[in-house]
Amino acid sequence: MAESSEGEEEGKLVGGDQQLVVDDDLCEMAKKAAWSVSSCKPGNGVLSLRDDNLDTYWQSDGAQPHLVNIQFQKKVKLQLVVLYVDFKLDESYTPSKISIRAGDGFHNLKEIKAIELVKPAGWVYISLSGNDPRETFVNTFMLQIAILSNHLNGRDTHVRQIKVYGPRPNPIPHQAFQFTSREFITYSTVR
Amino acid sequence: MEAILTECAQNSLRHFMYRNAIFMCERLCAEFPSETNSQLLAVCYLQNNQAYSAYHILKGNHMAHSRYLFAQSCFKMDLLNEAEAALCPPNESSAEIPNGAAGHYLLGLIYRCTDRRKSAIYHFNQALSLDPLLWAAYEELCILGAAEEAATVFGDAASLCIQKQHLPHGLGSKSMQASAEDQGLISSRNVGAEDLSPRHLKNIHGNSQRDAAGNYHSAPQPGGTGSQPLNGGPTTLSFYSTPSPMAAASQLSGVAPPPICRNMQINGPNSCATGADSSPRSTVNSTIQAPRRKFVDEGKLRKVSGRLFADSAPRRSIRLATGDSVANTNSNVSTVSGNGTNHSSKYLGGSKIATGSVRPVTGRKGQSWSNENFDEGIKHDGYDDSRNSSTTCSSPSSESRSLDQEGPTSAAGVCLSGSRVAVGASDLLALLRILGEGYRLSCGYRCQDALDVYVKLPQKQYNTGWVLSQVGKAYFEMVDYVEADHAFNLARLASPYSLEGMDVYSTVLYHLKEDMKLSYLAQELISTDRLAPQSWCAMGNCYSLQKDHETALKNFQRAVQLDSRFAYAHTLCGHEYVALEDFENGIKSYQSALRVDTRHYNAWYGLGMVYLRQEKFEFSEHHFRMAFQINPRSSVIMSYLGTALHALKRNKEALEIMEKAIMADKKNPLPLYQKANILVTVENFDGALEVLEELKEYAPRESSVYALMGRIYKRRDMYDKAMLHFGLALDMKPSATDVATIKAAIEKLHVPDEIEDNL
Repeated sequence: MAESSEGEEEGKLVGGDQQLVVDDDLCEMAKKAAWSVSSCKPGNGVLSLRDDNLDTYWQSDGAQPHLVNIQFQKKVKLQLVVLYVDFKLDESYTPSKISIRAGDGFHNLKEIKAIELVKPAGWVYISLSGNDPRETFVNTFMLQIAILSNHLNGRDTHVRQIKVYGPRPNPIPHQAFQFTSREFITYSTVR
Repeated sequence: MEAILTECAQNSLRHFMYRNAIFMCERLCAEFPSETNSQLLAVCYLQNNQAYSAYHILKGNHMAHSRYLFAQSCFKMDLLNEAEAALCPPNESSAEIPNGAAGHYLLGLIYRCTDRRKSAIYHFNQALSLDPLLWAAYEELCILGAAEEAATVFGDAASLCIQKQHLPHGLGSKSMQASAEDQGLISSRNVGAEDLSPRHLKNIHGNSQRDAAGNYHSAPQPGGTGSQPLNGGPTTLSFYSTPSPMAAASQLSGVAPPPICRNMQINGPNSCATGADSSPRSTVNSTIQAPRRKFVDEGKLRKVSGRLFADSAPRRSIRLATGDSVANTNSNVSTVSGNGTNHSSKYLGGSKIATGSVRPVTGRKGQSWSNENFDEGIKHDGYDDSRNSSTTCSSPSSESRSLDQEGPTSAAGVCLSGSRVAVGASDLLALLRILGEGYRLSCGYRCQDALDVYVKLPQKQYNTGWVLSQVGKAYFEMVDYVEADHAFNLARLASPYSLEGMDVYSTVLYHLKEDMKLSYLAQELISTDRLAPQSWCAMGNCYSLQKDHETALKNFQRAVQLDSRFAYAHTLCGHEYVALEDFENGIKSYQSALRVDTRHYNAWYGLGMVYLRQEKFEFSEHHFRMAFQINPRSSVIMSYLGTALHALKRNKEALEIMEKAIMADKKNPLPLYQKANILVTVENFDGALEVLEELKEYAPRESSVYALMGRIYKRRDMYDKAMLHFGLALDMKPSATDVATIKAAIEKLHVPDEIEDNL
């Protein structure tokens, strides 16, 4: 499960995983979020991005950049975005340059990550963390995934699935740090 | 023809051939419509799990026994209002509750299910006073938190009562599952009695008169629920079955309006025969008399066709019982059976203790109260028999506890039996006292005391499924999961097919993070009984351990569907909803759990946690306090109560509670940690550091301890130490969020007094 190797400055991502593997302390954050897309072909709409079915895909139908907007009900900490795209199946529909933006709403989105995919085939992991340990998470109301260009200069794009991950909340509420040792965890809850 | 049909139907019931029984009963009712016959038909349907049919047949009948059966059917169909109305008609508040103790018990259950706690308690107490061996009623009282000390309930008064009744009544276990067993047991009891009777008859000519007399005498006995006509009496081999023997006895008396009072419930009536026994120990004799009388009369009754129905019922049941050892139900029954054994053995006199009668054996196996009765009956029989030939006596089952007195045995004469009853009764009560006290203490969450009490049990009784799982539960409540695991393991070895307490066992394994064992347990339980809520609870726990909360939730919901009166399933659903962050549904689930059982402190705790997470601290404190009131010894609850108080800024109280929590359980590090947190808030840094140092010793690999120490040192401007501790905290591999927080803290180390975002 080698993660796709990341290029140096530009952030090129090559390849992709067939299996989706994320850390245990991450959990999917966007189940209750509002998802929307800038355009879509009938029958290949935004639902296909969230249906856990890799055979269905979203197909855009307009001008670039194609946007996927994810709006949360409250500010959430996000750490990882995972896309499933496949060059072999989608060829010129496969996204190439992707920009990830975050902010409070449409009016103040700011780019937090720019990435270029090179012939991806599977799950592609895009980490949102900065270099600073203080920037492990992005705390935001809204996330926008913008597809700026496609492989082979295709106009429209196919994306088969998108998942967004953030840290699992502390199972013990009102607690600064999470417990790690067995002794603490055993006594920390009543079931 | 009526007699034949009745006999046939009862025979079929005895042998579990329900279709035949139903068919025959229908013919019977068509040909000779009478309330008695429709009762028999209703019984057939109830046995066959067709409560709805019984409901329609019995609707509107007013005989006491019919009302009881009708209430049973309503209860099974969840029509609690009608059940209540049947047992306790609103217009006639002074009407007698049909079937004595069993009726009171059923009524108590209805009140409990409809949240009328006081009435429920009143009725359970009544049931117990009418029949001191109705363990299920005592259990319910413990669960409601209103049980008296076992010593008083199962004390001398009870002993006298039993002796009078001589045939203690069968037990209705709480769970419907047990009911079948009960029935079987009761039947076995009856059968036993029945079987013996013929023999008796042969030998006891002389007694018959006495018996008869006795019958009459006994009539007035126990609370005379004279209201029940003989016919009504019979056999309710219903779930909370009342002992048929009683019925049998009453029927036997046939002659007399017998003591059918309270038929089922109190064997008493018959037994109470004051018997004109001539033997010296008349009192004792009387007890013995009863059974004998019973048998004798039974014989007579046989000739009296009219009674056949009533008559045969018990007989049938007895035969049934004999037929197969019902038993092997774990749980309470086991204990009883132990006693039963004693009794029988005693009776059969030391010498003649042959393995003999299946009946006693079955009775024992049945392990229900019925055994008790059964044995008693048998004793008598046996007694007589032994005179002639040993036969029955099933001494088997593990040696009787107090076999010692046996000695005399034999054909000494009726009087001996009498004393045996007394001895038997007192032994049984002694056993019940221990178990009752243990159960009451563990329901009150005084777990260490409960454990001490259970240890007093004799080895045989201790090594039974029920007792061991109670021990396991006690350890679980004390948060000693390793011991609990051990106890539950033994429980499973002792009774591999018991599901009682297995939901708690699965939670123990969940806490211990033993996923292999847990999945094995879940698989086994499902294959044993797919329709038991405990199996699905175990399965759900398995998935939850693997963090697959959605599947876990589905499993718990299945458990709820299977039995909506199983509080723990609701609570577990609540936990899963909360893990999925669906707080609304979580709250609803916890509230359903509380509706079923207000003393289910896990649900109160769950609600407290939800409100804590939602930062509604007032609510949170209230709920934790409720949980604390129910279980005042749990250090975990205390520490959460303290946390809630801390959040409400009531730091002094919070600290007090934390101290208590620390004292309650030295092994629990959580209150110490929370105490440190509170001390930091009140700026008592030295105190906090001291506590944390102590914690470091206890749990050296706990990153949060070092992290908190790092923070304190930072506040104190001791940057080197702070750095050291933050570094140590990171070494312990905390979660990603914490890594971020700690690293951020390190960066900001030299920035003076910034307000941290957490806490």
